[in-house]
Order: sequence, then structure tokens, then C-alpha cells
Amino acid sequence: MKKPELLAPAGDLERLKIALLYGADAVYIGGAFNLRANADNFSLDDIKKGTDYAHKLNKKVYVTVNIAMHNKEYEKIANYLKNLDNIGVDAIIISDPAIIKLAKDTNLQIHLSTQASTLNKEAADFWKKEGVSRIVLARECQKEDITDIKNNIGIELEVFIHGAMCASYSGRCVLSNFLTNRDSNRGGCSQICRWDFDLYDGKKHLKGEKPFTFCTKDLSMAKHIPKLIDMQIDSLKIEGRMRSIYYIATIVKVYRQIIDEYCHNPEKYEYNLKYEDILRRVANRDSVTQFFDGNFGKEVQYYNGRQEITNQDFLGLVLDYDENTHLAKIEQRNYFKKGDKVEIFGPDKNFQFTIKNLYDEEKNPLEIVRHPRQIVYLEIPQKVSVNDMMKMC
Amino acid sequence: MFIASTINNIKQAQNIKDYIDAYLVPIKDFSINYPNTFKLEEIKTIKNLKKQVFVIINKNIHNNELTSLENLLKQIETLNIDGIIFYDISIVNISQKLKLKTKLVWNQEHLATNYGTVNYWYEKGVKYAYLSSELTKREIDEIKNNTKAKLFVNIFGYLPMFTSRRHLVQNYLDTFNLNAQNNIQTINKEEKDYKINDTNNGTVVYSNYILNATDIDFSNIDYLVFSSIFIDENDFLEVLKNYKENKQNKFPKETGFLYKETIYKVK
Repeated sequence: MKKPELLAPAGDLERLKIALLYGADAVYIGGAFNLRANADNFSLDDIKKGTDYAHKLNKKVYVTVNIAMHNKEYEKIANYLKNLDNIGVDAIIISDPAIIKLAKDTNLQIHLSTQASTLNKEAADFWKKEGVSRIVLARECQKEDITDIKNNIGIELEVFIHGAMCASYSGRCVLSNFLTNRDSNRGGCSQICRWDFDLYDGKKHLKGEKPFTFCTKDLSMAKHIPKLIDMQIDSLKIEGRMRSIYYIATIVKVYRQIIDEYCHNPEKYEYNLKYEDILRRVANRDSVTQFFDGNFGKEVQYYNGRQEITNQDFLGLVLDYDENTHLAKIEQRNYFKKGDKVEIFGPDKNFQFTIKNLYDEEKNPLEIVRHPRQIVYLEIPQKVSVNDMMKMC
Repeated sequence: MFIASTINNIKQAQNIKDYIDAYLVPIKDFSINYPNTFKLEEIKTIKNLKKQVFVIINKNIHNNELTSLENLLKQIETLNIDGIIFYDISIVNISQKLKLKTKLVWNQEHLATNYGTVNYWYEKGVKYAYLSSELTKREIDEIKNNTKAKLFVNIFGYLPMFTSRRHLVQNYLDTFNLNAQNNIQTINKEEKDYKINDTNNGTVVYSNYILNATDIDFSNIDYLVFSSIFIDENDFLEVLKNYKENKQNKFPKETGFLYKETIYKVK
């Protein structure tokens, strides 16, 4: 059975390392020409560091170059592609086909972004002939569409499995441009789809219990991963380059486990409902399957008046561990205190314990850890490793 | 330079024919953004008006629509029209496979934003490009100066700014047990109204304003497009007449993004 690639987002070098450590086979990152202009995007130097790091682990790095370029960006892109080629990134993710022509002078593999909204096998066939090696399918594809494209066009397919959804067809929303003068197709999306509006039919205000919005629930394909593997999808993609290390670690680890468990023994595989709880809790937003099952009715809309609760489960990141003293050096991320029951999780471990001995940076006894990024030491009964995380039970 | 216009019905096509050079005709089941669409037989009638005719096939094509699309393209080929304004790349592939002769107009709405891509499609045999409305006048001129492709540019009418597969109005009505009487609704934010149209093909939201750049010099552009949607037919006729006579129309001047560059990095 062919194991699909698990592809994770990485907003910076720290998240790149976390994604790969927690089980991603590849990461996608944003450079100078990507659709998250306001993220902490990678400099060329960081791309080099990230690519070297990934290659040492036998993993891959893809760079998103997927804006709808205006003339001034088009005039700069060829030089940028040469730099990415020299660094040795594994592929670029594009939406503008002008880049295909420019990339022919490089060794860069070309993945076609979901921004190009490829929904059918004729379009896929066109792009294959143009030299595109992988298509990130439009999120509106249903499973029958995906199967038909896979069976008829010999091209790698990448499918979104988790994260936020555009309310529009990708590339067909310029609400940000009109309402905030920020160009959504050049990375300036201000998420107008999550705003509330008043809906009128003529002069009649159509007013429900919650205001009108375009906002949709997030995507979660956790229970359909075996189906996607059976369909021989090449890459399973997690959305969220602006998400935290905690989110990335948790989501990647869950999908890593699902893929491995199914591929290890498909006949005896049973879907583990606890994974859904973990996914739901980390995102604090409802997740559903959406278009894969042909479902884009009222069940997938999200009418909540924009009230989303910040997740405070992530308590700290392990920076070091002394096996002799059992003291872990922790960087605080949320309030915790002596007596709390907490869970440690890492790429290869999960265990719970109650915090008994807690110290400040000078090893003075401490009761409460309340300062952001505060460095503390705490006694942990089992061995932990750098980049393991501590969360609320 | 040609004046191109969308139409809402055959009668309007007849009424405006002295003031335009080309009709842009949305086709039933395969066009989006246009509340009124036309059957193939009606296109034959429009052809009889002896103007250029471009058919609009601008919806995202789903895989299960390919057979119908291919049949449609074959039928259009027999009509000897001047071009197909397309969004989905499947149309290029089918057109190449079937060796269809009907010219293609690349119209990926918000993505037709630089001369490199216009030229990419030109080299693929797509000799016309319909530029994005989110460009500045300077960018449009730069594109014109760097391509052999013939260009379409919007200069009048409401502009689509959001297209979704989802039934966003119906989903809201269903969720809260509400009913609407009209086909088209409005959404309001900060005292601005935006028309929203939920159709079989999904939901479209339009600009709150009517682009009215008719007094700007676009003499270098091949096709200047007037969009008739949501505009009173008498007013629209008057706008076209005024343009022909080089007069200001009754609508306020609105230049959209022509002199307003969008930003995308907020730092």
C-alpha cells in the first residue's frame, strides 16, 4: 500500500522543525510571493536553513509562490525562482502559469496551487502537458471527481484534509480589495468572509438568531483518510501557515497516527474517535467533511457572531531535560500552577502527571506560572525531550 | 477600439445595437455573475443583429459537467461567433483536443493581472485577455504595451467581487427558517449595500458601486466593456448613447481601482 505524503504548513523555522518532528513528510512555506503576506514569511536564508534541515531528515520543502502577480511582481519573479533553485527546494507551489515558463530554466518541480481551482480532468490534463508535476485540487472537488481525475490523468494529486476553508472558489474573492483595499490574491486577505452582515430581501431585514455571514466551518477529513489512501492520493495537506506550534504539532501528530495505523493493517483498522476530540479541542472551531461528500448545505455554515474562544490548553514547551534530576526546563505559554494535572506529548510519547515540584529560573520554589514565555523548571517523572509540549488534561 | 456590452434580454440587445460593436452573452447553465442567461437558439437571434458576439462560459467547471461542456462547445462552434470568454482551463484543453476554431478570451476575472500571464495564454493560442478590474490604469497600460493580445477592460457597471459554490443565502434562510420573496438580496455593512445572488451555480456578491470610468481615455484598449446587470434598461441605453456622443452620463464618476493601488502587506 502506497503511503501518502503528509504535508504540513510552516509559518517560520520553528514551526517547520515542529511539523517535521511531529510526523510531517514535507512542509510548505511562504517566501516573498505567497498568499500570506502578513505572516512571518521565510527569507531566502531561512528557506535555505529549513531546506537543509528537512533534507537531513529525508523530508521535503515546498515554497508557495502563488500570488496573482501584478506586473511589478512578474518582473521580479524570475530572479527569485533562480534563488529557490540554487537553494534546492523540492518544489514551488504556483497559481500563475506565467511562472511555468520561467521555471523551465530551473530544476524546480511545479505544483499547481488550489488557487488555480482545478476541479476536472480536462484542466488537470492541460496542466500535466504543461509540465506541472502535482495539482493541489480545488476544495470543491467531490470524491467522485477526485477518483476520476486520479484514474484518468497520470499526475500527482494533493488534497486538503484539515483546516480553514475559503467561502469562495479560490481566487474568486476580492472582498478584501473592495472593503479594505487589501489585495486578497496577493496575500492581503482580511477575511471579510468572517464578518457579519445584515441581509435584506428588498426592504425586509432577514434576521436570524445570529447575523448573516459567509463563514464556513473548518475542514476535517480525519475519518476519510483511509478512503483517500485507497484512492491513492499522493499528498494529504493540512492548512494553516499562521497557526501556532501547538496547533501544528497536535494536528500533524493525529494525522500521522491515522495514516500509519491504517497503512500498517488496513483490514483491522478502526477509526479512533479520540482523534476527533483532540482535533476539535485544538482548533476551537467546528470541523466537517464538506465537499468531499457533496455536502455544502446549511450544516457547513458557521453562524457564531465571531465569538471564538482562545485555546489555552498549551501550557509550555520543553527546552531541556536533566535525566539525573528529572527537571525539565519549560517555556511557559499559558497559566499553570502546582497541583495541575497535565499531559506531556511529543512525536513519540503521551503521558499525564500532576505538577508537584515547580521552580523559577533560579531554581527557587514556585507556586504559579503566569508570565508569558516565563522560563521555569518542573519535575517530570518520565524522560521528555526538547520540543515536547505540555498541555492541560 | 470596440464597445462591448452584456445584455439582459434580446429586446435590450436590439435597443442598444446602434451604440455597441460587440455583445457579451452569458450562456444558460455555464455562466455565473449574470442574473440573466441565454439559450443557444437565442444566440442565433443575437447574431442576426450583425454585431460581434462573444459567449461567456465563466463558471468553474466541475468534473461531472465536462460532457455537457464539450457538447456545448461543439454546438457553439457551429454558430461562427467571435469568441468564447472563459474562466475554466478545461475549455482550453477541450478546444485544443477537438481543434475548435472559435477564438478564446482568457477571463479569469481577478487573476488576469500581468502581461506575463497574458502572453503565456497568447502563446497557447488564446489571443484575447479580459483584464481584472482590480488593476490600476497604469498597470493596464503596461500590459497593453507588453502584449500582442487583444484586451477587454471593464469601464461601466457593477463588478462581481465574490463567487462561491455554496448557497450562502439559502443556507442562512434554511438555518433560521426565514423566507425571501426576491431572487436577489442585498447585504449591508457600514451603510453600504452589496447585491447578493444565490443561484443554482452558487452565490455571487457584487460591488456596492457602479464602476463609471467612461470619461477616462482607454483608446489604446481593444474592447471596452459596459455591464448591464442591475442597471435600468433605459438608463443603460442612455449611458451607451452618451458614450457614443462623448458626453458624461448621469451616474457618478467611479474609477474603482484604476487610480487606487491595493496593498497586501500591512506592516
